[in-house]
Amino acid sequence: MRAEVVVVGGGITGVAVAYFLAERGFERVVVFERSYLGSGSTFKCAGGIRASFTSREHIVLMKRSIELWGELSRRLGIKYARSGYLWLASREEDLERLKRYSSIHNQFGVSTRFVEPGEVEEMAPALDTSRLVGALYDPLAGKASPFDAVHKLYLASREMGVEYRFEEVGKILVEGGAARGVASSGGITEAESVVVAAGVWSRQLLEPLGVSLPVEPEPHHAALTEEYGRLFDPLIIDLESGAYAVQTFHGHVLMGVEIPEQPSWEPGERLAFLSKVVRVWSKWLPWLPSANILRYWVGHYEVTPDHHPVLGPVGSIENLFVATGFSGHGFMMGPVVGEELASWVASGAPRTEEAAHLTLRRFEEGRLIKELAVIG
Amino acid sequence: MAPLRSLVCFCEGVTTEDVDRALEEGFRDLESLKRRLRVGMGPCQGRYCIPMLISYLSRRLGVPPERLAPPRVRPPLEPVPARLFLGVGDEG
Ligand SMILES: Cc1cc2nc3c(=O)[nH]c(=O)nc-3n(C[C@H](O)[C@H](O)[C@H](O)COP(=O)(O)OP(=O)(O)OC[C@H]3O[C@@H](n4cnc5c(N)ncnc54)[C@H](O)[C@@H]3O)c2cc1C
Ligand code: FES
Repeated sequence: MRAEVVVVGGGITGVAVAYFLAERGFERVVVFERSYLGSGSTFKCAGGIRASFTSREHIVLMKRSIELWGELSRRLGIKYARSGYLWLASREEDLERLKRYSSIHNQFGVSTRFVEPGEVEEMAPALDTSRLVGALYDPLAGKASPFDAVHKLYLASREMGVEYRFEEVGKILVEGGAARGVASSGGITEAESVVVAAGVWSRQLLEPLGVSLPVEPEPHHAALTEEYGRLFDPLIIDLESGAYAVQTFHGHVLMGVEIPEQPSWEPGERLAFLSKVVRVWSKWLPWLPSANILRYWVGHYEVTPDHHPVLGPVGSIENLFVATGFSGHGFMMGPVVGEELASWVASGAPRTEEAAHLTLRRFEEGRLIKELAVIG
Repeated sequence: MAPLRSLVCFCEGVTTEDVDRALEEGFRDLESLKRRLRVGMGPCQGRYCIPMLISYLSRRLGVPPERLAPPRVRPPLEPVPARLFLGVGDEG
């Protein structure tokens, strides 16, 4: 069978691209995943979703993604909540930073606002506000369950005829300057277009084709407590350390913070992470030291030089597309990236002008994008 | 006669019927079943149900149990109070 589109990678990006391709009427879409769905970065992520960024590209695309999260959650029953993001400042200098961010958000129509300690206590009863100097709230932000999102997009796309093959793609086949399929452990699959959505590993797939993807595998750690009743609704961020914490739909608290790390394909577990994340969050969540830590893991951010994704046609090879480099935000962008890539494959152009700024060409042309607030 | 509901995972209340439905949906490996059904995600961390699930899958799929490697258990193995990590392993 000759496929219309082969998608390499079964993380949030791959399943979302497949879903939106099927929705556009593509009938022969094949997704290749070498392990299990979500096994790359997606099932290691915190599930946070926001449009409160400080670049036009991120804000415009994420506003659309949030609309789509709402629609997908209604249509497919994906666990998703607009429960907000709350940035916590314990120092005057952090409050000043929040004011700068907020004015950019408001300028672009994302209505973040400062909230009083009383309101903070309502939305986050388990938080100690005694150190609070200021708090910025983003009511449009929220969270979704990564497991539920991937599985339901998979089920819905499968229902619409997308085929999933659990095989590793060893090679993208190119002939006469155009992609013509892939070679996997199961043989050769011909295709009219190939979309590489293989996370940090996209680099290895594109390298043999002479395409160099400026994406580094940056280790990021997360830890999970046991389940509790309602503790706090929004995803909370300690501005001083950049640490974040979110209460999952099942009641676990999932926490992350940056520690000094070098890019690594096989990152290891680090006690320094657990130590730092518990120390930071114990200041805001005084009960945390006596809570049990159930699980701890490390995954990747797929990081580009300007912390923005690489989307769309590869350029040097026809009918070859890529979607990665999300630099810590690939889960939340899944829906909009699916929609944009489906548009690119179907019509040769993205749906949104801002997406066109994010192609691989910007690195060759030195037109990098400015982002002032990369958090967590 | 309706098949008897038989419990695989006590902590999360997952039955063999749930497992069968997930198999039909194409979730055929332990990692995916865990996340689709929450089997093995309860307080006992799968100590009781994962061995049962492996032997059930082995029969259903006709695959030897050793080919259905148990899901990677993420550290810590036992729930550990967060305070034990305060002040250890600091590197800056
Ligand atoms: C601790 C942590 C917290 C995070 N928190 C958030 C958050 O709150 N919000 C947010 O938006 N983002 C967050 N992220 C980032 C997010 O997880 C990623 O950006 C996102 O999951 C990327 O999805 P993806 O589908 O592009 O890649 P992946 O999920 O990595 O999927 C790529 C898939 O391709 C497969 N693959 C690779 N090579 C091949 C091959 N040759 N053949 C077949 N298959 C192949 C892999 O097995 C993998 O399943 C977090 C990340 C981490 C590590
Ligand atoms: S019996 Fe399944 S997690 Fe405890």
